[in-house]
Amino acid sequence: MTGRRSLPLPQGPFPPTEEMLAQPVPEAEQKRGADQLRAAWKTPTGWRYWSAVNNSEVGTWYSLTALTFMLIAGLLALAMRVQLAFPDSTFLDADRFNQFFTMHGSAMMFLFAVPMFEAISILLLPAFLGARDMPFPRLSAYGYWCFLIGGCFVLGSLLFDAAPKAGWFMYPPLATKEDGIGPDIWLLGLSFIEVASIAAAVELIVGALKCRPPGMRVNVMPLYAWYVMVVGGMILFAFPPLIAGDFLFELERSFDWPFFDPTRGGDPILWQHLFWIFGHPEVYIVFLPSIAIASMIVPTVARRPIVGYSWIVLSAVGTGFLSFGLWVHHMFTTGLPQISLGFFSAASEAVVIPTGIQLFAFVATLMVGRVKMSLPMLWIAGALAIFVAGGLTGVMLAIVPFNWQVHDTYFIVAHLHYTLFGGMVFPVLAWVYYFYPFLRKKLLSETLGRWAFWLIFTGFNVTFLPMHLTGLKGMPRRVFTYPESSGWGWLNLISTIGAFVIAAGFAVFLYDLLRPKKDQPQIPRNPWGAGTLEFSHEVPAEAWGVRSVPYIHSRYPLWDQPKLVERMDAGRFYLQDAPDHQRETIVTSVIDGTPMYVQRVTGPAWITLLAAGFTGGAFIFPTFHIYTPAIISGAFAIVCVLYWLWTSTARPPKDDLREAGLGLRLPTYASGPDSVGWWAMWITMLGDATAFASLIFGFFFYWTARPDFPPAGADHAIGVWVVAAGVLLVAAWASTVAAREANSRGRIIIARTALLVAPILALAGAAAAYMAVRQMDPTSHVYPAIMWALMIWLVAHVLAGVIMQGYCLAGSVWGKLTDKYDADLRNVTLYWHFMALKAVTTAVILGLVPGWLS
Amino acid sequence: MTDIRQIKNTSVYPSETTSVWRITFAPLVWALHFAISYGATALVCAKGGQVGALRLGLGGVTAVALLAIIWLAWRAWRHWDIVRDRDWENDAGTNEDRHQFLGHAAFLLAIISFIGVAYVSLPPLLIQTCQ
Amino acid sequence: MYPIFTIVHRTRRSFLSLGRTALHWCKWTFRRRAWFILPALFLVSACEGRQSVLDPSGADARRLYDLALVLFVGAAVLWLLVGGLFVYVTRINPRAMSRRAAEALIIGGGVIFPVVLLGGLLIYSLPLMSAQRSAPDGMRIHVTAEQWWWRVEYELPDGSRVTSANELRLPVGQRTGLVLNAQNVIHALWIPALGGKADMIPGRETYLSFLPEKVGIFRGQCAEFCGASHALMAFEAVTMTPDAFAEWLDAQAKDALVPETPAAIRGAEVFAREGCGACHTVRGTPATGLVGPDLTHVGGRVSLGAGILGVTIDDFANWLGHTDALKPEVDMPTYDFLSQDDLIALAAYLEGLK
Repeated sequence: MTGRRSLPLPQGPFPPTEEMLAQPVPEAEQKRGADQLRAAWKTPTGWRYWSAVNNSEVGTWYSLTALTFMLIAGLLALAMRVQLAFPDSTFLDADRFNQFFTMHGSAMMFLFAVPMFEAISILLLPAFLGARDMPFPRLSAYGYWCFLIGGCFVLGSLLFDAAPKAGWFMYPPLATKEDGIGPDIWLLGLSFIEVASIAAAVELIVGALKCRPPGMRVNVMPLYAWYVMVVGGMILFAFPPLIAGDFLFELERSFDWPFFDPTRGGDPILWQHLFWIFGHPEVYIVFLPSIAIASMIVPTVARRPIVGYSWIVLSAVGTGFLSFGLWVHHMFTTGLPQISLGFFSAASEAVVIPTGIQLFAFVATLMVGRVKMSLPMLWIAGALAIFVAGGLTGVMLAIVPFNWQVHDTYFIVAHLHYTLFGGMVFPVLAWVYYFYPFLRKKLLSETLGRWAFWLIFTGFNVTFLPMHLTGLKGMPRRVFTYPESSGWGWLNLISTIGAFVIAAGFAVFLYDLLRPKKDQPQIPRNPWGAGTLEFSHEVPAEAWGVRSVPYIHSRYPLWDQPKLVERMDAGRFYLQDAPDHQRETIVTSVIDGTPMYVQRVTGPAWITLLAAGFTGGAFIFPTFHIYTPAIISGAFAIVCVLYWLWTSTARPPKDDLREAGLGLRLPTYASGPDSVGWWAMWITMLGDATAFASLIFGFFFYWTARPDFPPAGADHAIGVWVVAAGVLLVAAWASTVAAREANSRGRIIIARTALLVAPILALAGAAAAYMAVRQMDPTSHVYPAIMWALMIWLVAHVLAGVIMQGYCLAGSVWGKLTDKYDADLRNVTLYWHFMALKAVTTAVILGLVPGWLS
Repeated sequence: MTDIRQIKNTSVYPSETTSVWRITFAPLVWALHFAISYGATALVCAKGGQVGALRLGLGGVTAVALLAIIWLAWRAWRHWDIVRDRDWENDAGTNEDRHQFLGHAAFLLAIISFIGVAYVSLPPLLIQTCQ
Repeated sequence: MYPIFTIVHRTRRSFLSLGRTALHWCKWTFRRRAWFILPALFLVSACEGRQSVLDPSGADARRLYDLALVLFVGAAVLWLLVGGLFVYVTRINPRAMSRRAAEALIIGGGVIFPVVLLGGLLIYSLPLMSAQRSAPDGMRIHVTAEQWWWRVEYELPDGSRVTSANELRLPVGQRTGLVLNAQNVIHALWIPALGGKADMIPGRETYLSFLPEKVGIFRGQCAEFCGASHALMAFEAVTMTPDAFAEWLDAQAKDALVPETPAAIRGAEVFAREGCGACHTVRGTPATGLVGPDLTHVGGRVSLGAGILGVTIDDFANWLGHTDALKPEVDMPTYDFLSQDDLIALAAYLEGLK
């Protein structure tokens, strides 16, 4: 503990002893707690239902929306298969085919695979951890609405024949030169969704680190939580390079800044690097959560704990790291030096090892257990068969010379569908069958499930197995037609027939999912006999998730901790009531799960929907090159977010301590590293710093790739202004830190003065940064363009930082922020630590580095 | 009955708030080695340096990285403490098991990182030119 | 909408042709009482093709073919092992087995075995890269990719260049270097029968070399998505004996033939009148445009329109009259406004440019 005088520390006994847990809870007490909780967690009804933010509602909407987008993308694939069934076919023309394959890939990746992971995690993570909700429910709701708006916008472009058509990888110069608004829709629409993804990742990491039940140490947390942490971390480091790339790309599209134009010093290969630094980890971002699902199902089927828990943790973390060393294997044919290619070939082979360990740990668990096959396990078995085949072709593709032959052919199409069907679609379907009873308290049909499985499994192999051969026989990807003389006709026809079998399988699955089940009885609690906490939820369902938050000291508490569910239901554990009728969840320490404080969780609100709508406007209007409404939307979005933060986060509580149950008294407010908000800020800043680092990488990339960077006799940034910008921004940082220190010592007036001075210094610093590059012409060459890009990035962050400082100042004036309740100021100071780092780095790059390089 | 206020002080393994980060040290060595290998090669090949010197230098970097990983692995091995208690699972909700589990995970990650570094050192060993 | 009966009809036709081929093999094997050969024959037939990795005709492609075989056999064996193990533990013997065996499985199957196998694979495969990037012992050819065709320039020993398009001629037994570039967007050059592919990137130069081993005509195609007509950007790679190649190159270096038939003479007039020379070069005439393919010897090539048509007069007329339909969004205008006689004459002229 930091030993701050003013905020109280937790008090009371912990961990609870068996005698304490064995004491019965009086009937009246049970009823009081249950009534309070029911009132606090009530899901809004009628049209207000859509203002819900609870993880079970948002998670359900999220997963159904992702499923819908997936079906639409699947229909696009069917249309393409019809076109390719015969040589020289005219079902789709070239233009429409290109739109379809672009949208098929983009939608499957950005609108299905990643959001589906987030949806599943939002839905289930709190249940796995015996928590009431995610730490920031309104953020999940905001993320969902962003996803819905962005997804409809991007897919809707198909209806107007305006969809992007340069491939889901959007390689410039093809995509930068494309007429129409297709690429803009892709860039802005999907950037919008990427931002939402990062928001979800932040929330999930914080959820897994800080919202575990008391006692759940890192060595006993469910494997799914480990995966969520790893995948969240990967999203945090993988998406920002793409966002940086999108930023440069859109600047080129909108303002003709030549980042990817070789005639003015740019280089199209930079985009490929940024795209695939995102794109390859992306594959694992999709795959790891699916394996995580399997790691929850396999022990249940084997009816014993997982064998090699540590091995699986190793493989999750190891895969997370290694997956960042693979990206060039999508670029083996771009003519990079052989040694460079070799590094990526080697790393691509190395990543096989943790993946293999993961699979063998499952087999080992099944070996040691007494296997009882069930429908979800059938899907997992199918996934394993398909994924192993995809993994083995992956081993082949990592061999550079072999890759030179099959790169960009149907062999790749086969490989990637084997990995993604085996590593994503089948596990997700297994998830649906396994967790449907958890979600709706009913079972899906065993017969229909088997039909769906065998149709999809057979159809899949009929479609994609022949594609290996099609590719080896020379058929390139992304062709809308092929000549009869090629001899690819019969292979393609077989694939098309298979595609329709897959579609039939999905039809059966959908029917089973959506058919009315009113007459069907509710399931007993824990129908599969699982050992993890999610199946402790009540039947019929209650909105509170868990009646009381249990003390956990085992990996499979439902198997190992006797009378656990009974005591949870009785309200024997923590947070068994809601005296203020507010939603709360318990926050624990990262390593050992020691209770730290009770976090107030936000309830239903329209503001998230409004904020998402305005954010949508800020991203969507620029697609059509309409900038004024975009700026107005952006401003409104900021106002909405500020309103939502102001009214519902880090408000001074009524009481400093709360009776949390079992004699434990926990603080109701936390500030600094104890609080979830601080962690969210820290994690977000890591992602943001990664995007910034990607821009810096771009700068040095131009230097290594191009002989004329910086060009001889070019205008450089003006030294005086660069120095001024650096100094002023560092001063703004120092002033913010001073404000925090003065505030915590009770020197309110000094703190307010510092908070008044800091934004002025910051704005002056931003102006100086602008003055430094003002005379450079960003359309003339990539060198001034990247300088401008760095300046814009810096200034945008300064403006955000100024708003934050103003927010703290207002908080101080209107009593939201005091010397005791200073969470906002601590979070903002953390932001400014990163800001100072960015300012100094930018100043060095702008002012000094060009001199060193030339 | 233990009071929650005593937990921090009475812990047998008091310095472990950072140990969840510590398991990532070996993979970070791998990442650093990878970044140096890739960056140095890109630079030398683009700006026309000595390929021989590059390969030799990367060999040196690899040796340092492997030694660092071995050292981390040895420390993690001691953390894990497998020889004494033969506990492979470390699945109890105790300080000791949590401590040993993190050691175990760190040790396994060190093995994977070692393999990763060894693989990534092969290209400069086997390929002589930039082409 | 595509008429459903056409789909039915074409499905039937595809299966009929497949059936006929199958019948042919069966008869063949029956006559030779070589039933065991049937599956092998199927495989062989599945592999053949002018654009197939599995029918190598160059040293590089052959080496990669051998590599592919090793990889495929290995992958199949591994898949069967893992699948077999899974079936064994879940179906055949679902009883609980010893923990020790399970841990040994993770360590042996998950770590030791793959580390050795993949390490060996890397050591075997990394040095295989260099051949296709090695310097030529024959000539260097500069290929520039355009939307959607190939500009091909043969570099003579004196440094001068002979320009052609949409066709690559290579001498057998010599390693020929290809210097690759692109005009507007990224493309990739790929001749599966001769070796691996390389991207062609605006503002960068990439390099590839081939060592053809057999005389023949192979099909190459653009492998990197390059816009609307990406599917229609192919070419023919003709491998020739060194003597034949030298003779051919000499002929290529010469100016275009003077049209002799009345139709061709009229066609040359149409060519001049319509301003074709603004985009195309026909050496020895006033046509010196550089936007489109060089047509000096277009009639002597194997294909037209970047590998999508033959080179008969009908093909030329078809191309000129339906350019945009044959190749969507192509820069060349469609000459459907020419009179039929003019069109045929122009086609005759071009066809005569041997």
